[in-house]
Amino acid sequence: MRLLMIRVVEGVGGFLALLTIGIVINKALREMGEALDRRRRALLEPLVFEYLGAASSRPLRDSLPKSPSRRDRRLVEQILLEAARLVKGSTRERITAAFEGQGAVREAIRALGSARWWKRADAAEKLGLMRSEAAVEPLVQLMNDPEPEVRIRAARALGLIRGKTSIRPIVGALADPSRWSAIRVAEILISVGSEAVDELLAAFDTLPQNGRVSALDVLGRIRGLRAIGLMKRCLLDPHPDIRARSAHGLGLIGDPGTAPDLIGALQDQEWPVRAMAAKSLGRLGDPSAIPHLREAMKDRQWWVRCNSGEALRHMGTAGLEALTDMLISDDPYARHMAVAQLEEGRVIDQFVAELTSTDAQRRAAAIRFIDKVTAAARIDDRTRQAATSAQEGVRQALSNILKAPAQPGGGGTR
Amino acid sequence: MATTVSGRERILIADGDPLVRRFVGALLANNGYDVHLAEDGESALRSAVSLKPRLLLIDLVLPGKDGFEVLHALKGEPATARLPVLILSVKDREEDVVKALSLGAEDYVSRPFSTQELLARIRKILERTG
Repeated sequence: MRLLMIRVVEGVGGFLALLTIGIVINKALREMGEALDRRRRALLEPLVFEYLGAASSRPLRDSLPKSPSRRDRRLVEQILLEAARLVKGSTRERITAAFEGQGAVREAIRALGSARWWKRADAAEKLGLMRSEAAVEPLVQLMNDPEPEVRIRAARALGLIRGKTSIRPIVGALADPSRWSAIRVAEILISVGSEAVDELLAAFDTLPQNGRVSALDVLGRIRGLRAIGLMKRCLLDPHPDIRARSAHGLGLIGDPGTAPDLIGALQDQEWPVRAMAAKSLGRLGDPSAIPHLREAMKDRQWWVRCNSGEALRHMGTAGLEALTDMLISDDPYARHMAVAQLEEGRVIDQFVAELTSTDAQRRAAAIRFIDKVTAAARIDDRTRQAATSAQEGVRQALSNILKAPAQPGGGGTR
Repeated sequence: MATTVSGRERILIADGDPLVRRFVGALLANNGYDVHLAEDGESALRSAVSLKPRLLLIDLVLPGKDGFEVLHALKGEPATARLPVLILSVKDREEDVVKALSLGAEDYVSRPFSTQELLARIRKILERTG
């Protein structure tokens, strides 16, 4: 028994010793490899940088040592990938040419066929950074990969390569049934920018409804002026999501010529469309929308009232005057929203401060204004100010106003 | 502000990113400039005084004193007030560009940049301020 115990202890000890030796050797090899990488990189980097900074069309291989080792090829690829984020224009094109000349593009395309999804995803990402036209077709094929992450990386790579043939499949991917994927694809198209507009317009009618909603969102965020016609047409689409997204997009694009269409959309039977139209009219800032936004402040849906009020608040003096007029509206919803927006815009605070003005006219105007706010039945903030204002004059004036019975229509108690 | 004995014009590059320092340094050295590197704001200020370069190429994002602070300090010091400064930065917001130019920068190039365009701008500044 004792002998058996000794054997077991010896066995475990031997195993631990071997394991330790293995770890030490492995660490030493890794550090040697890293040191060699550093030495080789110090040698190769100036050669690659010289190639990139040159105005000539001499290929990279002419600048490198003959028959580079696998390590050297890996390091050159790494240096090129790092330099790719620093430069644009002809130097960026030289990086692509170097990748192609070194065979790195061919290798990455081969890796797209790997059985492991993460290798396919990595290869797609690299191809995006290499920006070789030769990768477009294989990446388009990869957009049908069963793994969503691979499809996204392929889309991102195509977005980086750009060009018509690259963008078309990304637009098609907007219809991806996964909402998350569609959002990421939309971000890719937005980063492509105006180059994506024509492809989005051409593919629009072929997309399913969710794809069309995403496409309208992308077109709005790119601010594609060429999309205005499509968006105006979509304001009459049978699907409310499409109409709402078009209304939103027109506001993002910001063409004042679309104000009449958006004013029309304030009458839509679906409240999300009315809410988006109101928001967009605020962005356009066209004064012709003011009477319509005033009416929309009486809407039964809070979002429509809120967006209409906000729109008026952002429309300068005329908008603020409209909000002030709404304080005496016969509609209680509109009155409440007017107070909320005037509070948000710090307009009420300005008048409260004027309650103690030495100028009698300004003081009287402030009292009349606060009277209207009180009559609009939103007195919570004024009650707080009457109790807590640092100025005794303000506390006194507000207390007097609040004590007097508020007259609907701001009948003026003073 | 000096050129070297060999007649090469001296340029100081201040950037917190070692890759940018090496890449831009190699680019300018290969194009005939005498290049010196600084990795933070303080060493950029020291080198600007001691090396008397013909041009300072600086990033706005630097460890310690940032590019704006360096620019402000240089322009406030008589010995360096006339040193031309070119900003090469990943920051490309309108307000950053306006602030840098109003603080006295000669030019502004945002990253990613075109190497040929950067070289042309440097040549132009050196001609203008020569």
